[in-house]
Amino acid sequence: MRSIPYAGQIRGVVFVAALASLPSFNLAHWSINIAVFTLMFAVMSSAWNLFGGFTGYPSLGHAAFFGIGAYTLGLWFEHHAVTTGYEPFLMLPLVGLFAGLIGVVLGAIALRTRADVFAIVTITLLFVVQTLAFNLRGLTHGAQGLALPIPPFAAATFERPFYYVLVALLAATMAITYLTMRSKLGLSLAAVRADEDKARGVGVRTLGVKLLTFSVSVGITAMVGGIWAYYESFIYPQFAIDPLITIGMVLMTFLGGRGTLWGPVIGALILETAQQTLAYELGGSEYYLIAYALVFLLVMLLMPQGIVPSIQSVVRRRRRRAVVDAPGPPPSASSSDRTDVLTRDAVVVEGPR
Amino acid sequence: MAALLEVEGLAKTFGSLRAVDGASLAVEPHSITALIGPNGSGKTTLFNLITGYLSPDSGHVRFDGRDVTGANPGRLYRRGLSRTFQQARVFPQLTVQENLTVAAGYSWAQLFGRRMSAADRERVARLLEEFRMAHVADLFASELSYGQRKLLEFAAVLMSSPKLVLLDEPTAGVNPVMIATMEQHIRERHAAGVTFLIVEHDMPVVMRLCDPVVVLDQGREIFTGPPQAVQTNPLVLDAYLGA
Repeated sequence: MRSIPYAGQIRGVVFVAALASLPSFNLAHWSINIAVFTLMFAVMSSAWNLFGGFTGYPSLGHAAFFGIGAYTLGLWFEHHAVTTGYEPFLMLPLVGLFAGLIGVVLGAIALRTRADVFAIVTITLLFVVQTLAFNLRGLTHGAQGLALPIPPFAAATFERPFYYVLVALLAATMAITYLTMRSKLGLSLAAVRADEDKARGVGVRTLGVKLLTFSVSVGITAMVGGIWAYYESFIYPQFAIDPLITIGMVLMTFLGGRGTLWGPVIGALILETAQQTLAYELGGSEYYLIAYALVFLLVMLLMPQGIVPSIQSVVRRRRRRAVVDAPGPPPSASSSDRTDVLTRDAVVVEGPR
Repeated sequence: MAALLEVEGLAKTFGSLRAVDGASLAVEPHSITALIGPNGSGKTTLFNLITGYLSPDSGHVRFDGRDVTGANPGRLYRRGLSRTFQQARVFPQLTVQENLTVAAGYSWAQLFGRRMSAADRERVARLLEEFRMAHVADLFASELSYGQRKLLEFAAVLMSSPKLVLLDEPTAGVNPVMIATMEQHIRERHAAGVTFLIVEHDMPVVMRLCDPVVVLDQGREIFTGPPQAVQTNPLVLDAYLGA
C-alpha cells in the first residue's frame, strides 16, 4: 500500500517539464495567449491558497497587490530604459519584496479582524488602492493609463519570455506551498484554520504565521501583476485593480480545493482556459459568462469541497476499506507516509469559515 | 515558599455584569488547587483572565515570580502556564499525533523544520503511551469520542512541559471510566511535579483529588481551605443552596 517514494516531487517535475515544452509545439498565438493568462491565474490562485487556503482567511484584497505590482513595475520603467527586454523580469523579485513589505504593514492592520469582517476590510483595501490609482494623477496618470516600454521580442515568439517566466514563478510558488505543507509552519497554519483561539493558547505564533504567509502571498501576486503590466504594455486603474481578478483567484482555489497543493492549479487550468476559450468561441457577445458560470456551478454542486479534496477522500475511504478487508494484523501505528501530508487538509469537516 | 500563581483583586465587567469582581487566590507549587462555585460565579472568566484570553479591568496576575497581567496566551504557554477548555477543544482536521506536535511551543527557527521530525514522533509516542492512546495516533481528532478528545486536549498541553496546568472541568460530560482515567493522569503528572488549578463540578472528584479548595461566588472568592472544611462552611452552603 505504500506510495512510491518521491512521487510528489516526480509529479511536480513532470508537470513543470510538460508546461515548459508546450511552446515548442508552435501553437497559434491565440492559444499561447490563453496559456499565458491561465498560468497567471495558476500562480495567483496558488499564492492566494498559500494564505487564504491554509489559514481560512477569505482575503478579497489580493487584486490590490496585483495592481501595486503592475504600477510599481510600470513606474520604475517610466524612468529606466529597457534594451534587451528582460530587465522588467529581473526587477520582479524587487517588486515582490516591495509589495510583501506593504503586505506586512496592511496585514498587521487587516489581520486584527476575522472571517466576514476580514473579507470586507480587504475588499475595501482593494477599492482604496483603485481609487488612489485613479486619483494620484501626478504619479499614475489616472484614468489616462500608464504606458510601459514595448517588449522588443520577435513577433513570432513574442509570448514565450512571459510564458517561461510564469512557468518558473508557478514552479517556485508550488515549491513554497509544498515546503510549507511539510513544515511546522504548515502545521501551525492548519491549527489557525481549525481553531485560532485554541491555537493561540497552545503557543502557536498565530499572528506571526498569518503575517508571514500573507506577505509572501501578496508578494507573489504583485509579481504576476508586474508580468501582466509588461505583457499588456498599457495599464489602466480599472483593469490593474479589478475585483474580478480577486474573485477569479478565490473561485479557482475553491474549485480545485483549498489547502491543497494541486487544487488551485487545477482550478485555474479548468476555469481560465474555459473562460478564455468560450470567449473566443462565443465571440464578443457575453454568452461565455453564462457557460463559465455553468462550469463552476456544476463542479460546486457535485464536489462542494473542491476537486482535489473530493478525489482524495474517495481514495482515503478506499484505502481504509482495503486495510479492513485485508487479512492479517492491522497496519502499525506509524503508517503516516508522505501522501498523508498531502491529503491531510483534504479530509476536512467543513468549518464555519 | 512563594505561590506559583498569585491573583490579586482581579475584576472584569461585561456591560453591567460584574463577571469577576475583585477575586484573589494563590496556587502553591505542587498543589492541586480546586476552583469551585455555582454556575455563573465567574470561574471560566477568571481562567480567561489568568491565561490572557481576556484582559482584566483591574487587578494583577503573577506567575512564577513575574507580573503577567494581560500577557498573550501564547507567551504564557511557552513560559509554562497552560490550560484546557470547558468544551474539549482540539484541532479536528489534524491527526492525534499532529494535535500533540503542534502544541509543543516552537521558536521561529523551528517553524521551518519538518512538520513531524523523528524527535517529535518519539516524544509524541511516549506521551500517547502514557495516555494509552497509541492505537489512535493516526486518526483525525474529529474521529475520536468526546472523552478521548478531552484526554487528547489534556495530553497536548503537556507537550510544553508546563509548570502549571489549568483544567476547566476535566471530567464534565465523560463516562465514569473516563473520569477515573482522567483522575489517574492528573495524579501521575502531579507526582511528576506539575501544579494544577482545576475547575470542577464533580464534588467526589474534588474531595479525592484537590487540596486546597477555593470557592468563588459572584466573582469573588468566599472561602479557601481543605476539602473537608468546604462541606461544612456556612458561606459555601449559602452560595450553593441560597440563604
